[in-house]
Amino acid sequence: MGRGEAGLRTNSHDDTMSDAPPAEPQPLLRTLAPLLRGLERQVRTWLDTRRRFPLTMLQRAELEGLADDLRRQAEALDVEKPLLTIMLMGGTGVGKSTLLNALSGAPIAQAAFTRPTTRDPVVYFHHSIRTDRLDPALRLCRLAQHDRPGLEQKIIVDTPDLDSNDLANRDKLKALLPMADIVLYVGSQEKYHDQLGWDLFKEQRQRRAFAFVLNKWDRCVTGESGLRPDEDLLKDLKDEGFSNPLLFRTTAQLWVDSAAKSGAWPPPTPHNLPEGEQFNLLRNWLELGLTRLEIEAVKARGVGQLLASVSRVVDGLRPPDLTAESEKVKEAWRKTLAVEADVQGEVLVGTLEPYQTEVEHHFSVEDQQRYRGLMAAYLRFTTRMRYAKSGLRDRIPFAGRLLPGAKVETPVEWNLGEFVQECARTAGERVLDQRTAALVNRLLVEGDQRGFPLSLLNDPTHAIGRMDWRERVTRAVIDSLAEVEREATNPTGWRRVLRGTLTSMANTLPELALLVTAGTLLYNFIVLQNVPGMFEMSLIGLVPLIVIIAVHLLILMLLPIRWPAIRERFRSKLATRMSEELERAYLKVPTDIAEALREERKQVDALLAETKVVSDFLTERQQAAQVTELYGS
Amino acid sequence: MEPTEHRSAVGQLADDLRWLEDHCRRQPELATHAGTLRLASALTRNVIGPFLEGQPARPLHIAVVGGAGAGKSTVVNFLAGTVVAEANPQAGYTRHPTAFLPNGPAFQWPTYIGFMGPLNRLSGEKPANADEDVYQVKRIPAGKSGDADPLSEFVIWDCPDMTTWASLVYVNRLLEVAALADVVVYVASDERYNDEVPTQFLHMLVKAGKAVVVVLTKVRESDATALTEHFRREILGRLPKLPDGTSPAVPVIAFPQMPQSERTDPSGAGAKHRVLLLNQILMQVESEAATRVRTVTNAAKFLATAGDGLLDVARRDLAEFEAWKTAVLAGKADFEERYRQEFLSGEQFHRFNRYRDQLMDDLELPGAGRMLGGFIWLLRSPYRWTRDYVAGLIVRPEVFNLSEQTVLTASLTGWLDKLQAESLRRSSTHAVWKQIAIRFDTELGPQARERFNQELRNFELKETDELEQAGKKLVDAVEKRPALLYSLRSGKLALDLVAIGGIVYATWPPGWYLLLVPVAVSATHQATELAVRGAVEGARARVRNQRETLVSGVLTAPLAEWLAEWPATGGSSIEKLQQVLRRVPETIRQMEQRVKAKATEWAAVKPDSAPTATTTP
Repeated sequence: MGRGEAGLRTNSHDDTMSDAPPAEPQPLLRTLAPLLRGLERQVRTWLDTRRRFPLTMLQRAELEGLADDLRRQAEALDVEKPLLTIMLMGGTGVGKSTLLNALSGAPIAQAAFTRPTTRDPVVYFHHSIRTDRLDPALRLCRLAQHDRPGLEQKIIVDTPDLDSNDLANRDKLKALLPMADIVLYVGSQEKYHDQLGWDLFKEQRQRRAFAFVLNKWDRCVTGESGLRPDEDLLKDLKDEGFSNPLLFRTTAQLWVDSAAKSGAWPPPTPHNLPEGEQFNLLRNWLELGLTRLEIEAVKARGVGQLLASVSRVVDGLRPPDLTAESEKVKEAWRKTLAVEADVQGEVLVGTLEPYQTEVEHHFSVEDQQRYRGLMAAYLRFTTRMRYAKSGLRDRIPFAGRLLPGAKVETPVEWNLGEFVQECARTAGERVLDQRTAALVNRLLVEGDQRGFPLSLLNDPTHAIGRMDWRERVTRAVIDSLAEVEREATNPTGWRRVLRGTLTSMANTLPELALLVTAGTLLYNFIVLQNVPGMFEMSLIGLVPLIVIIAVHLLILMLLPIRWPAIRERFRSKLATRMSEELERAYLKVPTDIAEALREERKQVDALLAETKVVSDFLTERQQAAQVTELYGS
Repeated sequence: MEPTEHRSAVGQLADDLRWLEDHCRRQPELATHAGTLRLASALTRNVIGPFLEGQPARPLHIAVVGGAGAGKSTVVNFLAGTVVAEANPQAGYTRHPTAFLPNGPAFQWPTYIGFMGPLNRLSGEKPANADEDVYQVKRIPAGKSGDADPLSEFVIWDCPDMTTWASLVYVNRLLEVAALADVVVYVASDERYNDEVPTQFLHMLVKAGKAVVVVLTKVRESDATALTEHFRREILGRLPKLPDGTSPAVPVIAFPQMPQSERTDPSGAGAKHRVLLLNQILMQVESEAATRVRTVTNAAKFLATAGDGLLDVARRDLAEFEAWKTAVLAGKADFEERYRQEFLSGEQFHRFNRYRDQLMDDLELPGAGRMLGGFIWLLRSPYRWTRDYVAGLIVRPEVFNLSEQTVLTASLTGWLDKLQAESLRRSSTHAVWKQIAIRFDTELGPQARERFNQELRNFELKETDELEQAGKKLVDAVEKRPALLYSLRSGKLALDLVAIGGIVYATWPPGWYLLLVPVAVSATHQATELAVRGAVEGARARVRNQRETLVSGVLTAPLAEWLAEWPATGGSSIEKLQQVLRRVPETIRQMEQRVKAKATEWAAVKPDSAPTATTTP
């Protein structure tokens, strides 16, 4: 019976501890309280900050639960004598209430054959403890006070069951469990193996101390062959990492009966106790074994485990590092956006195509400003003739509507802004809006292929897709047109020289030709006495005209302002401009996210560091009391 | 109905239910349904199948079920009349079912294929805690006295529990036996009787229409009456209805915590408890045949009524599948809209101008008539010049168009991207989307593109044809019908002549007014041209519409269909799910009818030997 000895060993060890005056314990737990409060505040602040990397509902709930625990621990520790809460946990009918009655020697918890019996938890505590020192959740339970000196610093809680048809009981138990420092896992011959209890134990064992009771011990020692339940349970506990657990074999009912019969305290040992019954051991452990030193050790260990849980959970919430991925995504997006910008440029230029006459007209008018004299007069006249059509078209009110494919009416006065806006609107309606929606999807798919989580990318990218792209397109077209115009009217390099030469030729040659012709005629008339005929007279007009036409042709040939000539330049300018716009808008998305996540990682690391500081503080000062068997490895 | 046919139908249904069960187990949120599905498939295999095959009613089966440590093995011993099962203090000791045969003339052990599903019959003996998918059959040793065994027609099954943490592994073995049973003995201790897990199990048994006898064990003698009453009210009062809609009548017996002497001697010291139990069991059994018919009929009814519930597990999958289909169709609509907007609305179909000119040519007079035509053409020259100039003023160049190929390819990319982005977005919500997202880049995307390209070739072939044909038809309508052609020509000629003659006549003698002649001729020509233009434009519009229909019919509709069905192809779970959903209700309905027919058959043949309620000696 190795277990009984182990229990005794613990006991004797504690007796010596309580006999010898222990060294004045440092007020460790009390100093811990503000640290825990500070940590709780930090966790809550972290929870409240908005962040890119989302928490799942489950993660948030878990962390909030931990923050609650931190606060609760801080409050529980911030007292002269910390209280130890021992909670009985087990299935219905295993005898939790009977056990509490046996421990107290009075029927304070209802025990009967109706299952489930206990619906409201019972809190059993020393009368010196003021009710307001109890945790708020415990204050609402049924309270039973006692005057047993051995249990002065301990609160024993009888909880509802965890496996009956009354599911509300299970919820009550789960709400109470965070208050427990030590959980007394009560099993019976039938139920020590049950799944519901075992699952709850596995869920809680990281966080609390566990001791075990196998009640109804009389039903376990039947003399039948096979593994005895206590051996079976010890085996399972070993597999769970409890190599040396505290296990008490009890038959609480017999002790209750004995107490009822004798009315004395402590009750006399029942005569029919089965062999190996250990109720007395359990009572001794509770009353004497758990000294102040051990309580502090259990409390400190509980805090240590809480801090470990905080570290584990927070560590699990650290966002991934997406710097490399964001670079890859940007690389891929840049290519896609360049292609897209090309097509958009093509579409926009194509939309302007029907108005090439107007564009040419606009450029010509601008270009004519630099000619003087005869050339200027000639150009004004010819331009008016050449572009008469575009002027006329605007004066026919319904032309635009009658003819297919010409929704836009050009205003009489060249209003570039309005005109381009119309073009962008048409292009948008027909092509660009749909392309933008498709582009967003393409980018998202590419992002995913480069390993960037879509959940992070989705919303910001869609938001950019919904921006007012028509406005941007309009501006791009206007700017590109203006640029092309500037280039056309103010060329650089050899074109500048050529244009200067041509301009000065155009401004001088016609007048020169006129003068020369007139001079020649006068000379002929005055000196040579030749009376000029009709033909000679007309030469005064014809020769300058021929010169003008020749110069004009030269200008048109060498410095053409024709739509086909500007079209290509315009298109490439537009494509570059659009690709800049697109890149500016989209490429910052992955970078921003990666940056935000890096920032959030830093926050998580800071929180972890803070937790580590507190737990290091705790480890350095932890008392060396023997409580390890209450915890699994 | 041939037995082989029954056999394949039963096998099919059992397999389908089994597959659904596995499907549930793979999805954590559906795992709770797995037990019911297992029960359903076990009922099909163990009860309905043998019955339809004509296996005899004998032996009937009693299954003893209950939570760990409740005392199932003790109850088995009491049923057998002697200690046959190892009662063990270790909770959850029994890990596989054991059948105990009465010690009488050997009867035929069911040999039906699929009987007990995955459980194999152990040939040798093994301890009850052997954790394997097996069952063993033992024979109850002969009793001390030569008394007739009241349960000589019954096989008694000792089952594993359903409450310990290890039971997850072996609860399926329990379900097999529970499905097989004609009578279930539900054992609950004073500790266990209001536990959730066993109670849920009891509910399931009642829903499957099993006759249940409850044994409350370890009851204090003083509490027995009160506890039985309490149990009736709290637990039995909340039982669901039987498959036939009636409330179940469940007898309750209380066993006290017995001393070892009583416990180990069921037919001696413990006989008073045994008699109670046997009585209640035999009350549930009218005759072998009637009992078996009840078991089978209830099983079939359970399948029929729970049928929809069984398939509930598939709802979510199918809802997500529907969502995918909707997404595909939305993509199709986008595709067509893009095609219309980006290409079709600006496309002029220039070929039609050729047909217009051809038509105008056709209306000119042939042969000698050309002279006259030429003359009139000459007369119209001033008008023609004016008109061309004005037209030049007001006609704009056409709106720019992306090429059809570009638009189609871009639209397809857009469609697929949209689907892929959607599936990636939703991949965390359900397995259907996840599967799609995973297989998009490697399978769905490339396959869809390939398919589209094939269809595109098809489409291009058709569209050229169609355009050509529409134009030809227009010209042919005139050229192939000489009567019409000539009447049109002469009509036009008559119109011209009447116009000229009319002017000349009205303004005679000839003077400056003759200038009105070209005007009149121009007017008639313009009228003809407008008529021809109208016809051609109509054809053009028709072609445009046709083209739209063609894109939808040849390109997008087949692709959309393929895409929509894609998750349900290639042996995926959705495909199987669809098959199962189609098959299961139908099979269950057939099965119910066959069971009904067979049951009537059995009722007609009066049972030869029916055990009646007796008391043990």
